[in-house]
Amino acid sequence: MSEHALPGGPVLYNDAVVKKFVIACLFWAIAAFLVGVYIASELAWPQLNIAPYLNFGRLRPVHTSAAIFAFGGSALIGTSFYVVQRTCRARLWGGDALANFVFWGYQIFIVLAATSYLMGFSKSREYAEPEWHLDLLLVLVWVCYLLIYLGTLMRRAEPHIYVANWFYLSFIITIALLVIVNNLGIPISPYSAKSYSWFSGVQDAMVQWWYGHNAVGFFLTVPFLGMMYYFIPKAANRPIYSYRLSIVHFWALIFIYIWAGPHHLLWTALPDWTQTLGMAFSIMLWMPSWGGMINGLMTLSGAWDKLRTDPGLRFSVTAVGFYGMATFEGPAMSIRSVNALVHYSDWVIGHVHSGTLGWVAFIVFGALYYLVPNLWGRKGLYSVRLAAWHYWIATLGIVFYIASMWVAGLMEGLMWRAYDRFGFLKYSFVQVVVAEHPFMVLRMIGGVLFTIGAVLMIYNLWMTVNSPSTEAPRATPVAIGLPAGAVVAGE
Amino acid sequence: MDLEPSDVIVGLMVAVLGLLGLLLIARAWDDEMYLFGMVLAGFAVMFDFGLLRRHYDRRDAALAARRGGHE
Repeated sequence: MSEHALPGGPVLYNDAVVKKFVIACLFWAIAAFLVGVYIASELAWPQLNIAPYLNFGRLRPVHTSAAIFAFGGSALIGTSFYVVQRTCRARLWGGDALANFVFWGYQIFIVLAATSYLMGFSKSREYAEPEWHLDLLLVLVWVCYLLIYLGTLMRRAEPHIYVANWFYLSFIITIALLVIVNNLGIPISPYSAKSYSWFSGVQDAMVQWWYGHNAVGFFLTVPFLGMMYYFIPKAANRPIYSYRLSIVHFWALIFIYIWAGPHHLLWTALPDWTQTLGMAFSIMLWMPSWGGMINGLMTLSGAWDKLRTDPGLRFSVTAVGFYGMATFEGPAMSIRSVNALVHYSDWVIGHVHSGTLGWVAFIVFGALYYLVPNLWGRKGLYSVRLAAWHYWIATLGIVFYIASMWVAGLMEGLMWRAYDRFGFLKYSFVQVVVAEHPFMVLRMIGGVLFTIGAVLMIYNLWMTVNSPSTEAPRATPVAIGLPAGAVVAGE
Repeated sequence: MDLEPSDVIVGLMVAVLGLLGLLLIARAWDDEMYLFGMVLAGFAVMFDFGLLRRHYDRRDAALAARRGGHE
């Protein structure tokens, strides 16, 4: 816990729970990346599929859940608790017990979900694999999280609700709604883990991808933008380029995102008008996405030189660049004719990872490099040079990953649709699989590089907390309060 | 030192989860639900004992501070 003397009296923040989430985030990062490397190796060398527990089918949701919900989720809940306390000048509502329940309840949900996948239990809904009993546990934890967040906002000492909180709050509310609706199901018994979806046929597919795309939108995009709007201004010590644009960005994004799900079901039994609706809204997403990207990048105006000396900020700004790239690529892929070529191909995997590695993981790394010295009261990072090494190794890893998947995806799409002069398919499926092999190996190498970078970061942060060289003089105040944006913009 | 209301409310909520866990252990149809029950029950015990420990830690710290103030 840290105490900060501010006008209106000292505020004792609950930083203990933020620290726990930071540690969990680092642990899950390594777990997610290692499992990712293993399943990437399985795709290159299928003999690594060791039945039943190490099959690709069981390990793949372990990887996605560990990356999205464990690594990303821990980063989001932890930073949201950090940001809401400082921008509201209020301690977390609900006492330490409730915050601790959210931490341990969430971690237990993740461990149980991963264990259940390995045991062969799954609803077979992408990003919503946990069975009904685990969904109920998650909903309970999530409602407690919402109560803490709302309670803290309501007891704030600042009149203004800083924009980062809007992004975080929409994430908490929308994820609750999405999880509850998509996971509506009927268990075969209250004492059995098996359940069946409440929906059927194409409605089931539509609900799943309404959830699935908005898991990308409201879990992997919106709250990380909240992170961007707090940590980039703080690290650069500059105001947000346009606070007004950040508000327009917020409302436009959340209004449009929720309709884009049907683009996952182009060329299926979904009614044609619904597919067109999803495609149109996906293309409209270009505007708010790029508005936000420009706002994030332009915040560096007058402080671009800091990119040379602050690797944490370099991660954050590169993340915004990847955000712009992935949000350009996504709408392009949702155009019917483009989708006909790329759907079901590895281009989709490349697109997802340019978002998750380039945007999500990089914005988290940037926040962690800022957060850890501040949370633990250290004067700075243990090694700026090591953080720079992390940056370049991880960036190289992403380039390996997404370039190989783009090429593999295009090749697959073109081979699948190639006909001979008699109208027969030119290539059998297995011929396509064989042609992909080198790209599978390159992708795995990209994953290894990214993991090595993360290990360097953990060592660096560990030493930041424990090395005598980073000990702050007692009089040094800890960085506090609103980011420069809120203070300077004054809106 | 008074009890914190959130400790009591959260402690009771977790205790109910623990009891639910015991019920699931007793009547589970499959390994997954059995494991879920075990984890819920174990989590409830550890979490509630953690709450008790922190309560007494806070009380001891308050007592020590009061004694320090008198000396």
